[in-house]
Amino acid sequence: MTACLLGALPADAKESIPILPPYTGAYQPQGVDERGVWMVADEDERMLRDSKAVINDAKLNQYLRDVVCRTVGDARCNGVRIYVVRDADFNAWMAPNGTLAVNTGLLLRVRNEAELAGVLGHEFAHFELRHSLLGYKHKRTAGDIAAWAGVGAAAAAAYGYGSVRSYQSIERSAIGSIYAFSRVQEREADLMSMAYLKSSVYDPRCFADIWDRLMDEADATARGRKQRSARYDRVAFFASHPTSLERATYLRGIAATMGKAGEDDSARFRMALAGWRPEFLTDQLKLNDFEGTDYLIGELAGAEWTADLLFSRGELYRARGNPRDLVSAISFYRDALLQDPTNANAYRGMGLAQLRSRDPAGVETLKKYLGMKPDASDRAMISTLLQ
Amino acid sequence: MLRGVVAAVLAVLLCAMGLSPAHAQEKSATKEGFVLKSKSARILLIRPSIKVGAQSTGGMFEPNADWTAQARENIGVALAAAQNKLGNEVIVAEEPIGQSAQTLADYRALFSVLADSVVTYQFFAGNRLPTKKRKGIFEWTMGPGVAEIAKGTGADYALFIFNEDQYGSTGRKILQLFAAMAYVSVKSGEHKGFAGLVDLHTGDLVWLNADLEMGGDVRTPEGAQKRVAQLLEDFPGSALQPVSAVK
Repeated sequence: MTACLLGALPADAKESIPILPPYTGAYQPQGVDERGVWMVADEDERMLRDSKAVINDAKLNQYLRDVVCRTVGDARCNGVRIYVVRDADFNAWMAPNGTLAVNTGLLLRVRNEAELAGVLGHEFAHFELRHSLLGYKHKRTAGDIAAWAGVGAAAAAAYGYGSVRSYQSIERSAIGSIYAFSRVQEREADLMSMAYLKSSVYDPRCFADIWDRLMDEADATARGRKQRSARYDRVAFFASHPTSLERATYLRGIAATMGKAGEDDSARFRMALAGWRPEFLTDQLKLNDFEGTDYLIGELAGAEWTADLLFSRGELYRARGNPRDLVSAISFYRDALLQDPTNANAYRGMGLAQLRSRDPAGVETLKKYLGMKPDASDRAMISTLLQ
Repeated sequence: MLRGVVAAVLAVLLCAMGLSPAHAQEKSATKEGFVLKSKSARILLIRPSIKVGAQSTGGMFEPNADWTAQARENIGVALAAAQNKLGNEVIVAEEPIGQSAQTLADYRALFSVLADSVVTYQFFAGNRLPTKKRKGIFEWTMGPGVAEIAKGTGADYALFIFNEDQYGSTGRKILQLFAAMAYVSVKSGEHKGFAGLVDLHTGDLVWLNADLEMGGDVRTPEGAQKRVAQLLEDFPGSALQPVSAVK
């Protein structure tokens, strides 16, 4: 049973997924460039390994490893070291030496294991296709061309040989090609990920869904910040990735052509991440992105508002702090406490919101908080409100 | 006239692309009144951060694993030789595991921020913070918590060394030549290094040497010796070394 959206069969399927190449384990870098790129990646990995930003949880790591292995197969996943990075943005990256970093913001946003597999497969594809090295080489060539064109333009200005504008146009194309090349690689990695998904247990139709929600979230964020939302129908000069719309469209098209169903394993995913979600939500709240976060929390809830989501929504509204927000916040905390009366922090939030709304009941609520959490770090601060 | 203006604008643009030489600045300072007494201190050497490679025509860093390995070895040997001359005991820090690895990583990161701040807000005379303007003042600290990285070693000081070399490629040099003919200054190669000594009892930075234009080819043993000599130039107490070398 899967909950992922079905796409219509594209009229002319332009995209075809690659056939998985044979894989050799314990690959060692070849040549000056690749060995150099790996050396930098090795040094960076040493730093990442010891970084405070990394969540070292054996169980969570093992779960993610399982997902990578179930996606790309046991032979391939051996070359990967996984680091969970405490970063509320939606992202993951893979270095040429097999370092795979997964942001907590990604884990908060994917809805099931099949979606997670799509992203992790995409990152693994960058690794298998040696994209870092190829990107590095392309960037160097483009940089060389741009530098020569710059000197050419200066010479044209100084001596009048040739036209300054044509040199500048070469410079621009060279720089633009760096980003265009990156977009091609991202697309390749998406296609490769679909190839992994095809031979895995997962439903390949789920991968496309992420991009729909990311667009909606970005639109909500833009609305909240009174910005124009991004255009998804054209590519920006400096865009390193295809637009979310483009990705959702071709991924859905490929999945429809594949005609393969599979597991979305949302129950497994929920179980593995359940304990972490409140923590990831706390980080998300600190982004000061009311509309985007409200969209995200609502999206996570769907039809079922759990205690952690209600509590987070209360915190979100209380932080914005308009009188009407405080009224909403109090009701969210109250609902959260109906489901989970042990959440002392919900009493804290509710009490503070009540006090700010000039509701004397806030004093009792805060006393309840201090009673439940006698060694709270903000005990002294809260006590001053109770006199 | 117009051509001159266009050329000037282009030169500014190229400078913005990182093609201009670094501006002159101070490169070393010692905490007021600090002297490292000869043969009395144990100095903990933190794993030096070393990166060596080429600079492409366009100015991109091209890391080179072989050169870096050579430099690591050469600098290690040169440091060992310099240690003896310093007359103090230098302990090479072992790679820690677990929680202490995280603590060390934190302090390495903190040191690099600190060194950057010293360069930006004190060594660049024109950019000096009001609190750093008094003559001879050098007050920077990592806090006493830094002692934790030397637990069990009995060290009094920690020595941090960072080194980054980009050797201009042939293409870069040719570009430099042609650019010069078009009145644009292009810098080929970049050789940065800094070394700092931290008092492990107080956490104070007692000496820092940050040079954005270092000499010595670290890919060769002789060059590495020259580089280490430059890095440890004005190292507190190093002036005393000839005395100990006589016997």
